[in-house]
Amino acid sequence: MTAAFSRFLRTDWFGPLAIIVAASIGISIFDPSFLSPFNIQILLLAAAVNCVIAMSQMVIIAIGQMNLAIGAIGGLSAICFAGLMQVWGFPPILAAAAGLAIGVAAGLINGYLIARTGISAFIITLASLSIFKGADLGITRAQPFYNIPASVKAFGNTTIIGPIPWLALPAALIVAGMWYLLYRQRIGRYILAVGGNANAAELSGISIARTVISAHAISGFLAALAGIMLVARLQLGQPSIGDDWLILSFAAPVIGGAALSGGHVSVFGTSFGVVIVAIITQALVIFHIDPYFVEVVLGLLILWAVGVNRLREVRFQNVARAA
Amino acid sequence: MDAPTPIESSQAASDAKRAPPSIAWTELPAPARMLLTNEFGLIALIAIFGAIFALGTPGFGSQFNLYTLGRTMAIDIMIGFSMMVVIVTGGLNLSVGAIGVCAAMGMGWLLERVGLPLPLAIVGALALGGALGAVNGALIVRSGLHSFIITLATMSVFFGVMVFITRAQAFRDLPPEISAFGKMRIEGYVSALLIVSVVVGLGLMALYRLTPLGRDMLAAGAKAAAAELSGVRVGRIFVICHILSGILAGVAAIMLVARTGAAIPSMAGDLGQDWLLPAFLGPVLGGTALAGGRVSVFGAFLGSVLVSELTNGLLQYRIGEFWLQTWLGLLLLLAVLMDLARRSLLTRMGSLAR
Repeated sequence: MTAAFSRFLRTDWFGPLAIIVAASIGISIFDPSFLSPFNIQILLLAAAVNCVIAMSQMVIIAIGQMNLAIGAIGGLSAICFAGLMQVWGFPPILAAAAGLAIGVAAGLINGYLIARTGISAFIITLASLSIFKGADLGITRAQPFYNIPASVKAFGNTTIIGPIPWLALPAALIVAGMWYLLYRQRIGRYILAVGGNANAAELSGISIARTVISAHAISGFLAALAGIMLVARLQLGQPSIGDDWLILSFAAPVIGGAALSGGHVSVFGTSFGVVIVAIITQALVIFHIDPYFVEVVLGLLILWAVGVNRLREVRFQNVARAA
Repeated sequence: MDAPTPIESSQAASDAKRAPPSIAWTELPAPARMLLTNEFGLIALIAIFGAIFALGTPGFGSQFNLYTLGRTMAIDIMIGFSMMVVIVTGGLNLSVGAIGVCAAMGMGWLLERVGLPLPLAIVGALALGGALGAVNGALIVRSGLHSFIITLATMSVFFGVMVFITRAQAFRDLPPEISAFGKMRIEGYVSALLIVSVVVGLGLMALYRLTPLGRDMLAAGAKAAAAELSGVRVGRIFVICHILSGILAGVAAIMLVARTGAAIPSMAGDLGQDWLLPAFLGPVLGGTALAGGRVSVFGAFLGSVLVSELTNGLLQYRIGEFWLQTWLGLLLLLAVLMDLARRSLLTRMGSLAR
């Protein structure tokens, strides 16, 4: 019993989950409406899209890199999705497929450039961030697409049962899919191996280039999906979609215990990280704290989380050395 | 201290293999050496594009356009410098934009609310920039974490606190001297702001070439462990680099205030993100090594000049407008790819010369 419990304590997701439970109880004591079905629905809506955004960055953190371009990829896919439906009358399914394809293509370009040139992911994705964002603004001339089909709007704003919104469905599928991919599939093991120690991975026969390109393609796909989900939720194809993803995309994986040097990420930890961010945002509203404060809190959360991760790392090393 | 990821460290190792052996490099005849430098390439590009724009559009070569070009250029150069001094350590500072806006808003507050005279307010703003840089530096050195994640977090915190305190209100009743300085012209077409950038650039050159502090910065950035063993206090040096970065970001922001005539919270975009591209473009085009330890102040200056020139020219041709960011992104990509090609060419030439 105690052994099982101490194993729980050591998992990446236990801490964030404990915080979620404690915060929910704490806030609902002050304001019982926090756990009302309506509020839970709002929480889930915010968490659904953010979860996909966080997964998109998490895959890249897993290979020990960073992807500054996820917001730009998401924005470009989102306006292509909306634009194809409005201008050329594509059915939503086809338009979504095209949007996702653009995301994958953008990810492939990123991955290919990083793997083949050996230039740091930071510079490549900074450049491609600017390229994709410019294309987004160039195509739309900074004007949103307004004519979104009713079925898409309904998908983004109705619930399946009770407080569970339809948007939670793709998010849940992605969380399950990412878990399966990273921990049960060969490519997932490759991604984690390359992130953990690229030299060792290469010596054991893993193609680093192919793994890096795959990870970036997955990241591009997820960023595009998040963009499309946001179009459904906002009911318009806004060129500014993706502009504010960067901080959150790093906050959630880091809260979930991801090592920024690569090789170690937690799918459930990251999901709980997203929920924590959603709860904090909600709490600021409930307690009438300035909404501008969200940015401060997100920044402090990142600092706190990387600090805790660092301490855990040091302690594990000490334990390992002692044993 | 900045633990590079395995991929990046193996990359650094292969970079070292690819880098030209220094003996062969100096054996090349002097004219060939000069032609192959990054700075020469940049000067050639600036001249070529200058000629194309001047012949192709009536507006580009006009006295007024050169003056406005100088005004924007001066600020981009300063933003590039504020990133460059941190790239020297092998790290980066994502919060330059946020620090800049904080410094500008701090100056606006000191002028309007406290009523300080302009020189004191400028000193106060630069001190604020330096203090925020010190926070970055101390957090990075104390935690041993990569500067990327620390400055990503502080960018959010600094900007959020600034908006919270100012309630997103701009300071517009600034003393007329400051916008008069922004409008000042020398010989009709040189902006006074450009003079500030040149002077700061010369100062930075002197820092790296002539002072022990500058040499310690380069040594610490090139090989922190070796520098530590030879008596350089690496942690302290890194903090100083971040303080310098904060001060330079403050200078850039004050120059921007001088140009626009007001201190506005959104002057660098959300979280100051709009400064990131100009901040990296200049130094990277100019040949400052992202791995740290190698710097070219003149190169960073020329890189920013080229970027501002291209931006201005594209706008004159009216093909920039909305697609502008795409061209700048492609330029950054092209620059790093050309740097790669140049280095492999130098290696080949080096082996031939031997």
